[in-house]
Amino acid sequence: MGVAFVAHCVLNQNSKVGDGAICAGVYSPIIDVLREKGWRIEQMPCPELAFAGLNRFWAVREQYDTAAYRRHCARLATAVADVIALRVERGEDVVLIGVEGSPSMGVTITSSDPQRGGRPEWPDGTPEHVSGEGIFVEELRRELSNRGIGFPRVVGQTSAIPGHDEAAQRAAIESALSGIDR
Amino acid sequence: MKRDDRAFRVALVADQYVNPPRGGVDAIAAAAQTGWGVIQLPADDYPAAVARRLLFEVAEQAEEFARHGYDLVLVGRRNGLAGALGRVGIGVPDRIIPESFVGLVEFLSSRPSPERAVPFDSLPGGSA
Repeated sequence: MGVAFVAHCVLNQNSKVGDGAICAGVYSPIIDVLREKGWRIEQMPCPELAFAGLNRFWAVREQYDTAAYRRHCARLATAVADVIALRVERGEDVVLIGVEGSPSMGVTITSSDPQRGGRPEWPDGTPEHVSGEGIFVEELRRELSNRGIGFPRVVGQTSAIPGHDEAAQRAAIESALSGIDR
Repeated sequence: MKRDDRAFRVALVADQYVNPPRGGVDAIAAAAQTGWGVIQLPADDYPAAVARRLLFEVAEQAEEFARHGYDLVLVGRRNGLAGALGRVGIGVPDRIIPESFVGLVEFLSSRPSPERAVPFDSLPGGSA
């Protein structure tokens, strides 16, 4: 059996930054694929929710990249790595489903702007999306590496990325679950 | 301003309803149908130390929702949850042990609409 470790907000859009919730609670397009394919679901904690709260601003990596936030993410990563280790020991296939564009949960696309800070005003369309992982994902990678566990295959929810295409997102998830690079 | 579709409703859900056995009650489907978010509780067969760490994080996140006035409920049961919630100063929310999908949908649908999130400066100790 496969186990999908999903970003918290896939099951709970209430955790999103203000103006970021695209549905009431469960983001079904990803869950539907996991159910159809018979994958077990493991929800990861939201790194930003308990640290910066529900009233947090939209932010980029540089704003979250503090020693305190990395310690927080490392603590969460330890809890998640515990479960990944259990699943790997049982011989189960593991996939990580993150959130593309997120400063914390991005798996191949994160948000970056070294100049951002101070009064939270910036023009729409600021090109903040860059290749890379979010801070929590980096800490999880470090924790798994320390334990000698390979990093799982990854795929991301793309609804926050310009040009989001739900069919393409589904195909990418199916590909990640099957272990076949597209 | 962008639209935000959150429901201000969060269900703490035992693993057996997140990953139900064949014929079991699917709480994710029920939550999706009724407009609730889900926080998954650790599986019952996880070692105590693993479950304890996960429950600590569940409680911290539930606390943030509770202090903002979100409606919280518990679906199923999980040993150690009451203690984890107690450590952050919140009680075990209203609970259902669902016997059917329809019964769970009715329970979730019957909850009164929650207040929208409270302003930050009205939170305990919050004025920054």
